[in-house]
Amino acid sequence: MTAGLINAEHLTKVYGTATGPLVALTDVNFAIEEGEFVSLVGPSGCGKSTLLSMLGGLEERSEGTLTLDGETLDRPRTDIGMMFQTSVLFPWRTARENVRLPGIILGLDPEEQKAKCDELLDLVGLNGFGDRYPGELSGGMRQRVALARLLAHGPRVLLMDEPFGALDEFTREAMNLELLRIWEKTRKTVVFVTHNIGESVFLSDRVFVMTPRPGRLAGILTVDLPRPRTTAVMREPRYSDLVFEIRRMIGVDH
Amino acid sequence: MTMEAGIAQSEFDTAQSEKSVEKHLALAKTREQRRRLTNRMLSASFGLFVLLVWYLATKYGFVHALIIPSPQDTFFAAGRVMRADYFLPNAWVTTYEILLGFALGLASGVLFGVAVTMFESVRATIYPYLVALQAPPKIVLAPIFVTWFGFDAPSKIAIAVVMSFFPMFLNTLTGLTSVDPNAVKLMRSLTASRWQTFRFLLLPNALPIMMAGLKLCWTLAVTGVIVGEFVGASAGIGYLIYAMNFQLDIAGVFALIILLSLFTVAVYQLVEWAEARIVFWKQL
Repeated sequence: MTAGLINAEHLTKVYGTATGPLVALTDVNFAIEEGEFVSLVGPSGCGKSTLLSMLGGLEERSEGTLTLDGETLDRPRTDIGMMFQTSVLFPWRTARENVRLPGIILGLDPEEQKAKCDELLDLVGLNGFGDRYPGELSGGMRQRVALARLLAHGPRVLLMDEPFGALDEFTREAMNLELLRIWEKTRKTVVFVTHNIGESVFLSDRVFVMTPRPGRLAGILTVDLPRPRTTAVMREPRYSDLVFEIRRMIGVDH
Repeated sequence: MTMEAGIAQSEFDTAQSEKSVEKHLALAKTREQRRRLTNRMLSASFGLFVLLVWYLATKYGFVHALIIPSPQDTFFAAGRVMRADYFLPNAWVTTYEILLGFALGLASGVLFGVAVTMFESVRATIYPYLVALQAPPKIVLAPIFVTWFGFDAPSKIAIAVVMSFFPMFLNTLTGLTSVDPNAVKLMRSLTASRWQTFRFLLLPNALPIMMAGLKLCWTLAVTGVIVGEFVGASAGIGYLIYAMNFQLDIAGVFALIILLSLFTVAVYQLVEWAEARIVFWKQL
């Protein structure tokens, strides 16, 4: 296997439960290149969130190897950033103070961080909203703040766990375009968990298709749609081919 | 229509719509004010109604004046009690006992709550006992505390501490542990230390529930001190109530109860005022 930035070999995760061992992930193998946008797609229970937690160093692996830059991934790292389905903003901090939090925790230069956080708020389209509290922002705006916070300490790898899953369809689409625009600018390595097949094809360079019971990687699809992408790609035959291929692999088409 | 005229027209429309938005906002504000006024009138008239029933019941002899004094007698008794030279020293004793008991109960509740949440060894050692002690009524300790600590302030303070400790302890514990698992994940992913997680996430997150505990803590501290003074004391409002009751000065007892309630409610209001500022984000 060619060595990428992130490598998984025979990765397995077993949880001990009251009713016996539960296999969450079995024999997962992949390599993710630096700067790549990868989606993990699959139905509930396919282990995609477990895999993301393991990539974040928050969850121990049971068997196999998982490395980032050649180093075993078994604890949180400052060059990895995480974003969740809920914004997880702290309601007692303003939008700006929330974006400042990673820098404060990691003890980064305050002056530099101050300027950077203002830039990031501009980047996610929240110029002028820095002093608002999360309770005063809409769901979409809160996810924008979370996106800015994700980038604040400059991680190389972004792990995103269904970040737009709780938003309405229109806001989700707008956020996808926004994410692509930001990704084109920064070219970070992204691992994006979703159960929305269309979203995974629209965003990614490659889609990791996962299936449940036990959770495993059923296949990897390369999305050869040109970039930069706009919603126009959803009209292309290749887009629907890929979507239907993934549906077939997951087994939603009977 | 020329272009200039079109722009002028649209500016006019904007101005018009801004005006109508202002009008709507003003209307909504008026409605809100009216609603609040109505609610206040309702509660005021209910209070007056109760007062009236009280007055009529005593005036027409439905209840004996020795059992329930009339409102006006109670009012005059309050004046008499407050002017008496024994009032201020006794009120001071009770205030001092309540405030000290409250402060110590609050501090120890927070301290133990934090220690039990943050240190597993502390949790393993004392948590089962604290949970077991939480169930029985603490008030049963009052006579023993008077025996142990005497007739003066220390026994009353001890009862207040024991009674107000538990709500503060349990609410601190609940507040510190009721946290969004994703927020904890976020802090872990940022390699935050335990202290950082406590300071930036757990503590502020716990404040709303801790404030609720603090209000309980306050009323229980008052209860503890008054009961302590009933059981055995040589000074204090509870002692006065007990003594006046014995002398069948029921109007005096009523007056003292009302004065004590006013004091308790005033502090309670102060706490709520502070709460609105401390956990300001709950109203956003």
